Amino acid sequence: MTDARTTRRFALSTLVAVIGLGVLAQARPALAQGPRDPQAEQFVQVRAQRVISVLADKSQSVAQKKATFHQGIDELADVPRITNFVLGKYARTITQDQRQRFAAAFRVYAESVYQNRINDYHGETLKVTGSTVRKPGDVIVDTRISGGQLGQPVQVSWRVMGGGTAWKVVDVQFKGVWLAITQQQDFVSTIDNAGGNIDVLISQLQRDAQRPASR
Amino acid sequence: MIGVSATKDLGKTLRVTAAEAAATAVLALLAAGGLSETAHARANIEKPIPLVAAPTAASDLARTAHDPLEDFNRGSYAFSMGLDRAVFRPVTHGYMAATPTPVRHRVSAFVYNLGEPGTFVNDVLQGKPKRAGKSSARFAINSTVGVLGLFDVAASMGIRSHDADFGQTFGRYGIKPGPYLYVPVLGPLNVRDGVGRVFDFFADPIGLAGQGWTSPFGVTRLAAQTIDTRANADLAFRALDQAIDPYATARSAYGQHREALVREATGAVQDLPDFDEVASSGAPAATPSEIPTVSAEPASTDAAPSAPTPSAPQ
Repeated sequence: MTDARTTRRFALSTLVAVIGLGVLAQARPALAQGPRDPQAEQFVQVRAQRVISVLADKSQSVAQKKATFHQGIDELADVPRITNFVLGKYARTITQDQRQRFAAAFRVYAESVYQNRINDYHGETLKVTGSTVRKPGDVIVDTRISGGQLGQPVQVSWRVMGGGTAWKVVDVQFKGVWLAITQQQDFVSTIDNAGGNIDVLISQLQRDAQRPASR
Repeated sequence: MIGVSATKDLGKTLRVTAAEAAATAVLALLAAGGLSETAHARANIEKPIPLVAAPTAASDLARTAHDPLEDFNRGSYAFSMGLDRAVFRPVTHGYMAATPTPVRHRVSAFVYNLGEPGTFVNDVLQGKPKRAGKSSARFAINSTVGVLGLFDVAASMGIRSHDADFGQTFGRYGIKPGPYLYVPVLGPLNVRDGVGRVFDFFADPIGLAGQGWTSPFGVTRLAAQTIDTRANADLAFRALDQAIDPYATARSAYGQHREALVREATGAVQDLPDFDEVASSGAPAATPSEIPTVSAEPASTDAAPSAPTPSAPQ
């Protein structure tokens, strides 16, 4: 009992002390507002929503959805850029032969991962809420996705690169996590643990692409 | 898995929702990296997490890979995942099979509402009165009109939820995350957030009011929170199964998520990697622990400074 009281007193004392700190620390860095890019926003609004709609279309079979996605992915994502990026530092040392085998294996692997999630789509709608130009041709588009089985809307950001009306998605962020960056760390770690042997990753990708979804 | 705390954070970091899966579909080539969304996070649309961070020498992404205890951590991860397969997964799947989705949403809302006072405390500690007002208002509204938190009435009134914990508060005041830790049962952490977790546990107003975690209320709440969070994280666990190196994937996602949460509190901005840097760079390969495409300053001469994204903290 005494311990419990002591713990509470300690916790409360800590709170009081840190509240004091909070009052003293109101200053924050000045923030700059980057310009928006309407064309990049339009690209995400139209293309991303189209894919989501197709995937949620109950009139299409799973096989049809897979085919649609397979055919449409190049219109949406900058596949070569992503493929290079996820290799991280090993993009500098990979041989041409390895690069070709990796690109093929990565695509099959990634599509298989997606296909295992094909039933996760239930009519969500996407709405662009803003964008930030990081530099010319490199834009972050913020969206809000709602509907379907979502209890509340969620924020998803899309990093797109290109210009004019020609844009491609290179990364997607949700809750602060960028998928391509995460994928890169997955792959680089795998190659590191194989002593720098990229073929180990390629083999693993080929193996996993054939593996059915768990659970 | 990953006990209560673990499910809480890994769930936040790794759970794949339909929306996230939608995003993943558009970038299916990136799909192995699953994300999470808790009931807490689900309603968190108050504002986007800042995309741009302070251009310090040690970027947040570099810090996510600061893992000097990797051998221990990998062993701990393997043990925790084994425990999950043996215990938590079957229990959770039983719960999911026995309860319809709308019921589980109500459970999530109830559990989340009990965390609002803790959020309020951290809002205050961070010197953010507006957010503190929102979290306290949400708790008051949802606990009454929302029937003990079963329904998020406040969100429908435009008072969106947001996350705040002691790890974020420490980060708000400049404390660095320190080495990555994967604690058996507790799950992914870093030193800063691990200490924060202890504070979260012992300074939680609802826990204190409910006679601590050993009281019948505390035990019931802990059990409900554990199962709820694990259920919410179920798709994230599936995504981890599909990663080539699940440990590295979880570490990356956790680190990014936590640093984004800190940026939300500080208003700092993130300097994203140049997508073409790796291919164009003639620099020697980075060390294994280095995140090669991320630097605090542009690595290539043609890299223009990033335009910061407003984070609009109070």
